[in-house]
Amino acid sequence: MPSSPSPGLAIEVDALTKTYKAGRKPPVHALRGLTFSVAAGAVFGMLGPNGAGKSTTTKILTTLSRPTSGEARVLGLSVARDAAGVRRRVGYVSQGTSTDPLLTPTENLVMAARLRGATTTDSRTRAAALLGEFGLADASARPVGKLSGGMRRRLDVAAALTHRPQVLFLDEPTTGLDPEARAAMWAEIRRLSAEEALTVVLTTHYMEEADRLADELMIVDRGQKVVAGSSADLKAALNGDTLRVQLFEPRADVVRAAAATVPGLRDVVVEVNGTTGELVTRSDDASAAVGSVIAALDAAGVAFGAVAASRPTLDDVYLHYVGHTFGSASAEAATSSRTDAVLEHAQGEAA
Amino acid sequence: MTALSAPRSLSRASWSTQVAQVARRWIVVSWRQPWGLFISLLQPIVWIVLFGQVFRSLGTLPGFGGDGYIGYLVPGVLMMTVLYSGAWAGTGYIDDMNSGVMDQLLSAPIGRSSIITGQLIQQLLLNLVQSGIVLVIGWLAGARFDGGVGGILLALAAATLLAATFCCLSVAVALLARSQVALIGISQVFVLPATFLSTTLMPAALLPDWVQSVATVNPLNWAVDIARTGLAGTEDWGAVGLHAVLLTALAALALLWAVRSIRSYQRSV
Repeated sequence: MPSSPSPGLAIEVDALTKTYKAGRKPPVHALRGLTFSVAAGAVFGMLGPNGAGKSTTTKILTTLSRPTSGEARVLGLSVARDAAGVRRRVGYVSQGTSTDPLLTPTENLVMAARLRGATTTDSRTRAAALLGEFGLADASARPVGKLSGGMRRRLDVAAALTHRPQVLFLDEPTTGLDPEARAAMWAEIRRLSAEEALTVVLTTHYMEEADRLADELMIVDRGQKVVAGSSADLKAALNGDTLRVQLFEPRADVVRAAAATVPGLRDVVVEVNGTTGELVTRSDDASAAVGSVIAALDAAGVAFGAVAASRPTLDDVYLHYVGHTFGSASAEAATSSRTDAVLEHAQGEAA
Repeated sequence: MTALSAPRSLSRASWSTQVAQVARRWIVVSWRQPWGLFISLLQPIVWIVLFGQVFRSLGTLPGFGGDGYIGYLVPGVLMMTVLYSGAWAGTGYIDDMNSGVMDQLLSAPIGRSSIITGQLIQQLLLNLVQSGIVLVIGWLAGARFDGGVGGILLALAAATLLAATFCCLSVAVALLARSQVALIGISQVFVLPATFLSTTLMPAALLPDWVQSVATVNPLNWAVDIARTGLAGTEDWGAVGLHAVLLTALAALALLWAVRSIRSYQRSV
């Protein structure tokens, strides 16, 4: 039975699981009881490494995929029981291009609008307006396959807006774009949020993207929510500063033992990647700790390079809650193993 | 207020509009890749011109009719053309799945059947054009169609039913296998044996008994029989009716399977 959306919420997800089974292979648990909600009108960032479950969540919320268990509602409509109603209210930009490369931008947008119930005349008017809004008017008659990556991505977003959705899902919208095109896409997302009162669900594995665009964000790892909140709140919750030390030919146990001699250090992580590595730790007073850390490493005979102290970043938030850096998680997901990088992790206070 | 700020719409396109839009997209794409039609016609040209010439002397044997081997071969090549072309129909879906266009279609409030039916219409139109060209090539090579316009329409109808069946089967396999290589491999496993286990190239009387038995349940053979008797003006309407009903039922089942395969695809994403 359809239920009314909770006041102020565009999306409600409760204990969502998704398990893929393929013959005799072990099942893959893409989502393991994910629960979260998204405020109406917000830009909500889902941040996590490749394979964390972000795209699976988006596909379930856009009715492309069915959950194994759990409940998900978009604008009060169940994605399982009222898929057609959800589709009429959401726009979706997938990771790949979602427009036909042999059609022109105008043809793609007219088709998208017609498939969503617009008349021929309205579709053409809408297509022209969208092409103008997204700076694609001059390219409206060229085959999409001949447009630049940035233009194609903007067209993908335009195609998802032909029916004036209330919720827009953007799955890795800037992956593969050059910095200029990425900045242009960020500007479009900000404009849509500010001017169109859209709820935007942004999936990304770029820390900077989530930090800049999301009003609220959720860090996802291995199909589970790690933490959620605004970027500022999440960073503020990490008291103190982050200290990073570049290491050469490090032995993780030696570095950890050295760090353990420095009072006040916590969340000590030593990542070793071949002949180099990094010590990442936190301290209430980084400037005071720098000298002690250098002395401890010197005393232990550890070769090190640059030492940097900084205010907490989203990467530090990720490190704090997940136990390893975001970069190492992405690399692990990309290679599906840790054979190339030995990750040594010591959680909690070392001192 | 920007152009995007117009009131939100919750309307839904009718099924016929959905089908027309999907079909239009595929037709425009085909129109912009005319080499696809040209390549698909190379094989029937080779069959009619080369195979027909090499085995021309077979036409003097009993069972080939009055037009010689070319006249016998053309209806078979007509069905081979739509069979082979239909078996490739699924490749478009694999491209769409890989590019993300499929996800865009599936996230729209449209029926799964309209996605399948739209592309099927484009495929059937393409097959009609191919069939017409094959008949012209056959006529130029020496085949004569005593069945007249009625016979030609009957042959085209049989070709359309056969094409619909194999287009839908190809699409279903593509949606389940999601791999170009797998689709081509599976298609070849069925298409080549279907060709040789029929009267496409040789009359039943010259085939081994077991091949004759298999041919009676081979849909390609049903279509070839309809086309051959139609083009020659020697229809056995009882057999034509039975084979037409069987082909129609098979096409309907294949269409149903293709539509259901979209759900299987969605379960895997």
